[in-house]
Amino acid sequence: MADQTIAPTDFEREALPHLDTLYRVALRFAGEPSGAEDLVQDTMLRAFRGWSGFRPGTNVRAWLLTILRNTFINEYRRRRREPVPMDLDAIEPYAVHEATASDPEGEFFSQIVDARVLQAVDALPEPFREVVVLSDMEGLNYAEIAEAVGVPVGTVKSRLFRGRRQLQRDLYEHAVAMGYIAPRQEPSKEDR
Amino acid sequence: MTTDELDCDAALELLHDYLKREISPELAPVVERHLERCVPCFSHARFEEKFLELLSGRTREIRCPEALRRRIAESLRQPS
Repeated sequence: MADQTIAPTDFEREALPHLDTLYRVALRFAGEPSGAEDLVQDTMLRAFRGWSGFRPGTNVRAWLLTILRNTFINEYRRRRREPVPMDLDAIEPYAVHEATASDPEGEFFSQIVDARVLQAVDALPEPFREVVVLSDMEGLNYAEIAEAVGVPVGTVKSRLFRGRRQLQRDLYEHAVAMGYIAPRQEPSKEDR
Repeated sequence: MTTDELDCDAALELLHDYLKREISPELAPVVERHLERCVPCFSHARFEEKFLELLSGRTREIRCPEALRRRIAESLRQPS
């Protein structure tokens, strides 16, 4: 019979500390908690079975997130209700920084509540959302994201650029609507 | 005559790489020097920094639910 107090395996020691990260990313990908839980569980089982393919010394968190992302694309994506597909190249939101003359250093960002930030992230088209989540929320570097998403680093950077702009616009418009920041003044109005 | 090696457009182009520490060690001080000398670019950098802090800092409290953690730990211990 198996020993009741088995020492943790290498996989457990390496992978289990990343469950919080995996769950946070799964939530943003799947869009709701029960799908996120299934996605994390599937990811961990696949990772466990594929553990011999992990190269020791490389970043286990990036490896797990790559598996999570592939599992999501292959098994879960159709469950998520996506916004109407759009031509990504057509999205060129204006640069919010140029609209915030009354708050040039972006103090208004700190007034926005967490739930509203997450709502804005969830509203991004998937190609932008996944790179923003991996880079700006979870801190993967560009090379790790390029590997996880399967695109060149240049593509990661341009998606990040446009995703961030779109997020900033959404949060800026929210901040104006909430009165955290004065709307942009028309040139015809008096300055100051 | 200016000693700046970057104009504003070039500095802003590199801004996110700089803030995310994805910039080469040779270019980082060049961007830094520009930001130190250019007030509009400095405030733009603060703006982008605030935005990135908003994304990185505030969502970290979300944790994997305990029940899921247990379920996963158990599933890994089951002979399959």
